[in-house]
Amino acid sequence: MPPELSGAARSSERAAADRIYYTLAAVIGGIVSIYFLVVPVLDLNIAFHFYLMLWITMASAFNVAAGFSGYMPFGFVAFYGVGAFTTAILVKSLGFPVLLALPFSGAAGVILGLLFAPTLRLSGIYFAIVSLALAGICRLVISNMPENITGGSFGLQLGSRAEPVHSFYVMMAVMLLALGVILWLSRSRLGKALRAVRDDAEAADMMGVNVTRVRLYGWLIAAFFPALCGGVEAWYTNVVDTETAFNTLTTAKTVIYAVAGGLGTVTGPIVGSVVMVWLDELIWRQFPLLNLLILGAATVLLVLFLPRGIVGTVLRWRPEWRRYVP
Amino acid sequence: MEILVLNGIVNGLIVGGIYALIGMSLTLLYGVLRVVNFAHGEFVIGGSFLAYALFSNLGLAPLYSLPVAALAFFALGWGAYYLLLPRLQNSDDPEIMSFLMMYGVSIALAAVMLLIFEADSRSIDYSFTPIAMKVGPIYVSTARIVAFGIVVLLAAALTGFLFRTLPGKALRATIMNPEAIKIVGVDVVKLSAFAFALASAIAGVTGVLVALVFPAFNPFSGAEYSIIGFIVVVLGGLGNPVGALLAGILYGLAEQLATVFLPQAMAPIIGFGILVAVILIRPAGLMGWRAQR
Amino acid sequence: MSAAIAVHGLKKRFGGLTALDGIELEAQPAEVLGIIGVNGAGKTTLMNCICGIYRADEGRVMIGGRDTTGLTPHEIAHQGVGRTFQVPRVFRKMSLIDNLLVPVLDRGEADAALIERAEGTLEHMNLIELRHNFAEELSGGQQKLLEMARMLMPDPKVVMLDEPFAGVHPVLCKFMIERIEAMAAGGKTVLLISHDLTSIYRLSRRVAALNEGRVIAMGGVDEIRGNPAVVEAYLGN
Repeated sequence: MPPELSGAARSSERAAADRIYYTLAAVIGGIVSIYFLVVPVLDLNIAFHFYLMLWITMASAFNVAAGFSGYMPFGFVAFYGVGAFTTAILVKSLGFPVLLALPFSGAAGVILGLLFAPTLRLSGIYFAIVSLALAGICRLVISNMPENITGGSFGLQLGSRAEPVHSFYVMMAVMLLALGVILWLSRSRLGKALRAVRDDAEAADMMGVNVTRVRLYGWLIAAFFPALCGGVEAWYTNVVDTETAFNTLTTAKTVIYAVAGGLGTVTGPIVGSVVMVWLDELIWRQFPLLNLLILGAATVLLVLFLPRGIVGTVLRWRPEWRRYVP
Repeated sequence: MEILVLNGIVNGLIVGGIYALIGMSLTLLYGVLRVVNFAHGEFVIGGSFLAYALFSNLGLAPLYSLPVAALAFFALGWGAYYLLLPRLQNSDDPEIMSFLMMYGVSIALAAVMLLIFEADSRSIDYSFTPIAMKVGPIYVSTARIVAFGIVVLLAAALTGFLFRTLPGKALRATIMNPEAIKIVGVDVVKLSAFAFALASAIAGVTGVLVALVFPAFNPFSGAEYSIIGFIVVVLGGLGNPVGALLAGILYGLAEQLATVFLPQAMAPIIGFGILVAVILIRPAGLMGWRAQR
Repeated sequence: MSAAIAVHGLKKRFGGLTALDGIELEAQPAEVLGIIGVNGAGKTTLMNCICGIYRADEGRVMIGGRDTTGLTPHEIAHQGVGRTFQVPRVFRKMSLIDNLLVPVLDRGEADAALIERAEGTLEHMNLIELRHNFAEELSGGQQKLLEMARMLMPDPKVVMLDEPFAGVHPVLCKFMIERIEAMAAGGKTVLLISHDLTSIYRLSRRVAALNEGRVIAMGGVDEIRGNPAVVEAYLGN
């Protein structure tokens, strides 16, 4: 146990810890930014890296709901799908430029989040199941809408030109925005309130935290980014249909990648996504048929042997590092 | 119109019976183990595929697949329990962790079935003689009537087991108070393994019945049955087998009658809608023992 | 001048069970009001009704002259009410400092000022060295101290302690008693539930004895000690 420090000494120790934390965050952010910046320039596999950024963003947003707030939305793909269709409809039917349509996608995600807000008072399992059902309803409602709006079973084509490099950089911007927001959240008062509500909502209530409002803010942040992702991906692939936009596998991968890295930290979802996407690519190339099986088996193994994820397990082993690791 | 409605009612009872069995086994699992079995639908479809494989390769009539499925899935469930579940009890949030794990199991199982049977829809080309029978003014396929008969037998047997035999009562006691049952000296691990195995067996057998009642199935049908299972379990109250029985029948009736008045594509929305409404308004279900949180 | 806290005719039923059957009591600033009663007498239910976790079926709760009946728990907390729990409810996966910051997150003070205040309180409670540990890593007694520290952060005028001494080491008990005396000396109103009659009689200016959801006696320590109704309720019939 370190010797007891005086008030002034504690203050400077705290400042030093903060410096390490933010330096680490800056370094990681810098490496990530430069790496992805350079991918199209060096003509590395754009598709692989695009989706890597997408999963990092999705897993990070899911972390806000699950790690910071304590909710497991198994219908997370609903936000993604709504974002994808919003961009597609605005671009195709109303002629919006994509960059103008994207904020509307984000807004659509937030609106959907508001619609789903009454479910926030449900406990773990009930919430997870209802979330799944609500995503199912979204998918069915959209696929049953008139064909001229949502394209029926053929889906919507956004336009004649897909722009992989432009959409790649926009995805990067979205990812960095997400990571920045989450970094802010993890140190902010809202973040502390969220975690208190996660740990014991009633006690937090009695300590003066407006539980309903705090939960809602966390939830809306978590809803915003997958919607943006859906919109950018729609631009990248140039086509949107209900099967792929509301694919339950999207939620599955998001959950698994986030859990693999470790919920509750900023770096967890990044690490988890990088490791799992890389593994997925490796295995998919060798054994394309076993892909799904390995995903399922990996989930089971993760829950059994690494329930706190990679970063979470490291922090459990070295708890003193918690203050320094974003 | 009356014929359609009558059809809806009869089919509703038959389909509802199947949903009831799915719900009863799922709620048993949750009640005893506090595990939300996301892979339950895959267990059921696994049973359907087993019947299909036995029929296509060995010419075994589906009725004979029933005991095979029961034994096979009982053994699988027993093994799966010991392999997967004991570690979970020590984690911070066993309920969510088990949910996640069964999520993984469901993906893996669907993948296995996909690998073996491919993605095409399958059905069993078995016909009873006569192929249909007259029930009042309407015709019902014999396969469905037979399936319904088996459903009734199974449901009765399960209820009898739970309420009149010692191991059954032990299971119900565990549902009511998992802590107390340990103090009383019951080997909770063995009882839990038994519950898992029993629930798996019922699921597998239900799968064979699904093959008789529904026109076709594929490896991804499991997800639909899992959702139906959740709906029935929540409607009937988590951990309440009798509640699940009633809820299953009610839900089957609601679904089939809805298809009389609404387009087919809307039917799942009704199901999801009922689930959401019940959870938000009355989470304890129609007959719930335990309210949430 | 109105009482710091007053409860009038409070009733609370759970299904067929009447937990509170018309509670009447009040307490003044700088006073410790002891609350005693056998298990099931309604003591914790009373606290839960006052801080808004339960909605009373009938009756009123007044904090500093303001009617707080029916307000949400966080609104009541903002009226200057703090509490601890029989079984500690700390925020398990948050550091001790963060635990202390939760009740003051909405204050306008700067982060550094709040953190310094939190550290000061932790020092007071002898928990300063563990300030970065997660709350779940503390012992039961330490968690009770943490709860007390957390409760004091927003400087509440009315403080409710539910069995603070239960299962706590005697040395720690003595420390807690000193803290409670300091709270009252500083002007706070303390409602103290405890089965530890020695501590109750030492700390309280007045004592309210509850039985079957009612206040069967309220008065000074000596009055209550000798009250035949109280003795009978405790020893049973």
